[in-house]
Amino acid sequence: MSEYTEAEVMIALCARLLENQKTAFIGFGMPQVAAILAQRIQAPQLVQVFEFGAIGPTPLTPFVRNTMGGPSNCYRSIAWTNMNQIFAQAQVGLVDYGVLGATQIDIYGNINSTMLGADYKRPTKRFPGSGGANEVASYCWRTIIIMMHEKRRFVPRVDFITSPGFLDGTPGARERAGLPGDTGPWRVVTSKALFGFDDDSKKMTLLGVLRGLTPEQVLAEMDFKPLVPRRVESLVPPTEQELRILRDEIDPAKTIIGRTGKV
Amino acid sequence: MKTLDAGVGEFRFTDPDEIRGWMRTHKRREFVDKTLSEGEAVRRFVADGDYVSFDFSSFTRGPLALIREIIRQGRRDLWYCAKFTLMESTLLAAAGACSRIDAGFLGLGDTLNRAVEEGRVQVTEWTNGTLTLRHLAGSMGVPFLPTRALLGTDTLRYSGAKVVEDPFGGRPIALVPALNPDVRLIHVHQADVYGNARCFGPGVSPLETAAASRKVIISTDEIIDHDDIRKDPAKTTIPYYMVDAVVYAPFGAYPGGLPGMYEMDFEHFAEYNTLEGQGNLKAYLETYVYSVGSHEEMLAKRVGLARLNDLRRRATIKEGYR
Repeated sequence: MSEYTEAEVMIALCARLLENQKTAFIGFGMPQVAAILAQRIQAPQLVQVFEFGAIGPTPLTPFVRNTMGGPSNCYRSIAWTNMNQIFAQAQVGLVDYGVLGATQIDIYGNINSTMLGADYKRPTKRFPGSGGANEVASYCWRTIIIMMHEKRRFVPRVDFITSPGFLDGTPGARERAGLPGDTGPWRVVTSKALFGFDDDSKKMTLLGVLRGLTPEQVLAEMDFKPLVPRRVESLVPPTEQELRILRDEIDPAKTIIGRTGKV
Repeated sequence: MKTLDAGVGEFRFTDPDEIRGWMRTHKRREFVDKTLSEGEAVRRFVADGDYVSFDFSSFTRGPLALIREIIRQGRRDLWYCAKFTLMESTLLAAAGACSRIDAGFLGLGDTLNRAVEEGRVQVTEWTNGTLTLRHLAGSMGVPFLPTRALLGTDTLRYSGAKVVEDPFGGRPIALVPALNPDVRLIHVHQADVYGNARCFGPGVSPLETAAASRKVIISTDEIIDHDDIRKDPAKTTIPYYMVDAVVYAPFGAYPGGLPGMYEMDFEHFAEYNTLEGQGNLKAYLETYVYSVGSHEEMLAKRVGLARLNDLRRRATIKEGYR
């Protein structure tokens, strides 16, 4: 079996979730690579949309980090619009998936990318903030969150809700706040596991663990206990095909896939 | 309309009639040549304490030549709209030019994060989408627009948004106040001398931001004939009467790219990242801003023709960018 990095696991698991001929709001960095991988395997007509208004591009590879709004990422788009238009399209219900990274997440899928610390006015650590993540998490029908599986990132309560999950987890909390109905976090993809959310309690639920790991090993790296159903799937590690496309076509310079440790 | 919740963040708001008055008296409908050097444009139209907005990002069609000129002239206490920013906000903060930021997204690297932790830069939380929506409201002459973003989050709590009961449907809805920046900076592909401007490719909010702002400075890679504008009006992004100054600035987005014309300079960003990581943006600013008198001098002395030609050569994808 070949070796692979944590980033390669996260990207492969995320890519497998993306369906052909669906629209997906794609965040900066790792979500871009996952979307391109999905296009190269099962979803050639995955319609990526970006917050600066590009709709449906077929990004050229090798993937070039940072040039999100530039010609190679926006190659062969269906339309070029702008930020107000594309967020309006998501708000009216035209975008199926949102794919986001996150710094911190809690059991109800609330996302923090703003700050750490008990007092907002005196952050112990400040991060760049929402960017467009709040809109994506508010509007898209199904939000997928990609993150490293580390204990400090999976916390009982995030220090700051940058982007909405199921808020306090009470039934209808998102709708009561005024958020569009039937939206919210759908999957959390990590370097060790795949999570969903329980229909009733809205709590994060362990759906699968990477082959070779036990649920206990996954749970040991979390600061809250998600729901664990009787049957937990064994997740196939990145396949030869996925790794070949990632390493040879998409990211030969390893700007994304090489930034994490080996599994 | 019943107010259900309100953010505590400080925000800029101007009465719509005050903006209408400004648009009536300051925005010239006469066709006059507005070309200025970047130094003169910034001297005339950017003052200490101004609220400054821009388009699009430092990697792609950002107004970097104008940002560097603002720093070179030592502006202070700017309130910067970081709606999709990376390098612009970081350089302004590192130079001590801005003391307040509406985020959006703070910047590139840890410099701004530290400035916020240490209280040197004040932040009001927004999102890329709600800041852009605020410009749309400002460009329409209405005091606010509704959105279904922000709701339920701490981002809303530390923003200037309010949550009200929708008077039509009865559900909670967020309202964001109109934003009318004092200054707007944009780099475009082409403009005529009057300020009719074209930018190609996707964008953040080139038209809304121009329409909402009191003073609009355009830098452009090419100056084109006014007749060319009239021959293909569908290509006009910004009509001239919104524009106060036109700065001819080839490679004005450098080190970012201009789609279809030149690629971003990866080596330059690598150098920036190294210096930023060392907490030494002073050295960066000295090399690329303070030690040169203009954008043209910076290109000639710090970048050089060979590298600029290479950036042009690498911009092989032209489709859609003309």
